[in-house]
Amino acid sequence: MVSSLTQPALEVIDLHKSFGSLEVLKGISLQAQEGDVISLIGSSGSGKSTFLRSVNMLEIPTSGTIRVGGEEIRLKPGRNGATAIADRRQIERIRASLGMVFQNFNLWPHMTVLENVMECPLHVLKKPRAECLDEAMEFLSKVGIADKRDQFPNQLSGGQQQRCAIARALAMHPKVMLFDEPTSALDPELVNEVLQVIRLLAEEGRTMLVVTHEMRFARDVSSVVAFLSDGQIEEQGPPEQLFGNPESQRCRDFLSHFRDEAKSKHG
Amino acid sequence: MELLIWGDQGWGDELFTASLMTIAISLSSYAVGLVFGCIGAALKLVENRWANILGEIYTTVFRGIPELLVVYLFFFGGSLAVMSVASVFGYNGYIEVDAFIVGMLAIGVVAGAYAAESLRGGYLAIPKGLIEAGLACGMTRSHLARRVIFPQTLQYALPGLSNLWLINLKSTALLSVTGLVELTRQANIAAGSTYKFLYFYIVAALIYAALSFFSTIVIKRIETWSNRGTVRIKV
Amino acid sequence: MDFELMWDAIPKIAAGIPTTLLLAFAAVSFGFVIAICAAIAITTQRPVAGPVARSYIYLFRSTPLLIQLFLIYFGLGQSEAVRASFLWPVLQSPMWCAIIALALNTGAFSAEIFRGALSAVPNGQMEAARAGGMSWWLSFRRIQFPVGMRIALPSYGNELIMMIKATALASTVTVLDVTGIAQKLISATYKPIEIFIVAGAFYLIMNLVLTRVLKVVENRVSKHL
Repeated sequence: MVSSLTQPALEVIDLHKSFGSLEVLKGISLQAQEGDVISLIGSSGSGKSTFLRSVNMLEIPTSGTIRVGGEEIRLKPGRNGATAIADRRQIERIRASLGMVFQNFNLWPHMTVLENVMECPLHVLKKPRAECLDEAMEFLSKVGIADKRDQFPNQLSGGQQQRCAIARALAMHPKVMLFDEPTSALDPELVNEVLQVIRLLAEEGRTMLVVTHEMRFARDVSSVVAFLSDGQIEEQGPPEQLFGNPESQRCRDFLSHFRDEAKSKHG
Repeated sequence: MELLIWGDQGWGDELFTASLMTIAISLSSYAVGLVFGCIGAALKLVENRWANILGEIYTTVFRGIPELLVVYLFFFGGSLAVMSVASVFGYNGYIEVDAFIVGMLAIGVVAGAYAAESLRGGYLAIPKGLIEAGLACGMTRSHLARRVIFPQTLQYALPGLSNLWLINLKSTALLSVTGLVELTRQANIAAGSTYKFLYFYIVAALIYAALSFFSTIVIKRIETWSNRGTVRIKV
Repeated sequence: MDFELMWDAIPKIAAGIPTTLLLAFAAVSFGFVIAICAAIAITTQRPVAGPVARSYIYLFRSTPLLIQLFLIYFGLGQSEAVRASFLWPVLQSPMWCAIIALALNTGAFSAEIFRGALSAVPNGQMEAARAGGMSWWLSFRRIQFPVGMRIALPSYGNELIMMIKATALASTVTVLDVTGIAQKLISATYKPIEIFIVAGAFYLIMNLVLTRVLKVVENRVSKHL
């Protein structure tokens, strides 16, 4: 159902990022069409988190182009050779249209669950309070923690906190959702409740970029899987192909390592 | 600048002497503070309810009341006390007590209340295993106190005590109201007789800032020395 | 011990309480604004305002409050430029000079507390705010400031208690606060111990009440942090 006339929801062209002399991203290009679920896998240090954080400018890329819904993010040369954001307003508007879910939830501890979810719609999008409240409750129900609305984040389990963070991202009606290792900080028994919610969102046809270490989840849910290695996309394709018959040696090594791990866990 | 010339023409030598007085009164009141601090901490730590209450009253009162009020109490109360002792021996004239001694005690007693809290905290921070280790190898109580408990308490209390020194240095300025010619009093005198108020107060302020600055350097050295046995893990 | 004198001194000294509280309240209010501005200038690494704020904090923390007070009351009051300016009506009043000196002093100490607290707000919470599309000001107002203030509260509470005590210095420039009245009574009656006990008790009560209020506030706002 992808029409060649519509703009891709997210388009990244030749993205580079260096921290000092260390080049972390060495030219990454990626396209997400409306409804795509793209999983980014790879060993730690491969640059997948940095890539995801660059998409909404939490890291400012050294060079490259990012288009969200066809709109290009404007960058300008900054001090001592770095790049800088050209237009703060534009970035704020685009960030508001990208829902980000962090590894460590990053809920605001001084606000209740409900206030966390309502905060940005109310103050960034400046929607009426009643509308924010209705929607917030709707999303909290969707992630299954509507009964926790008046609790504070530190009173919740990790899984509940992450579901609250997902509701907070959903409340902005994002064009694209970015998940940065959403289950890595969770105790093993809490991973599933969060994956369940993300799976539900995928089934709704939301456009998502997911950095993950959960290979089964990536295989079941993604439309595209990209394997990153050493700051580049080493291999990219539908999950059946990438998991079933990977072309690159590095990807094969990475996946076999995971398979061994899975075996040793169950055996 | 000619106002700071040495000798009769300028105030350089007077300010220098006054700075030495500030250092002297700071050091001696700090020493008094440490003695009172040890007593106060001991009162709060021993297993005796009355001692605990006494220690509590001491630290609460002298940390909760303006130092200036305490300075007035010692300044006026001091000569009153001396005179009542003198009257026992038949002398009924006015006796003014030495401003240095009064100042040293007034500032020292207040510093002691803060020092007591730091030392108490330091003692409570000693890992119990250290004391048990001492007892296990047959140390006597006094040996243990001298060789283990006291040095360890000091080490844990050091940050608090260092900070107290910096506060104490500034507190001595209050003694200018008693007529002790330390830095602030000397600045008052110089400013009053030349009408260069702004000038002399800024000079005095800069001298205090310099004294604080040198103190921090010395404190850093002491802290490095004190932590010499502590392994720093490099990240 | 002259109990009759103490009894008589109670209402006389109590008359200074409003002045003491006014000094503390005004100084803390102005000082709070100064401290927040200085802390923002440092945490956002402003090219000029940052170093200026750092020097201000260093100078006012490392010199005695009494010198700062004299500098403003006698120093500025004696300068011709000030006498000719619109500031003169303010600087000729001992009360205002005391408030300004106390405000600048607590401003420096509080700025150091707030600076530490603002930078102690976990980075992830700020990133979440930016990822939600918040502008710098909005994220400061809604996230960094409220979280930072909760972190700062215990130390800032101590600073407030120090300020109540610091107001006593205003008596050296003729303000008749609790200490000012006490000092006059000591000179007049020559009963330093009795007067000290009465005046001291008032300060202890003020501190006790403030400590209680701070405990309640702290429990209410920082419970979930």
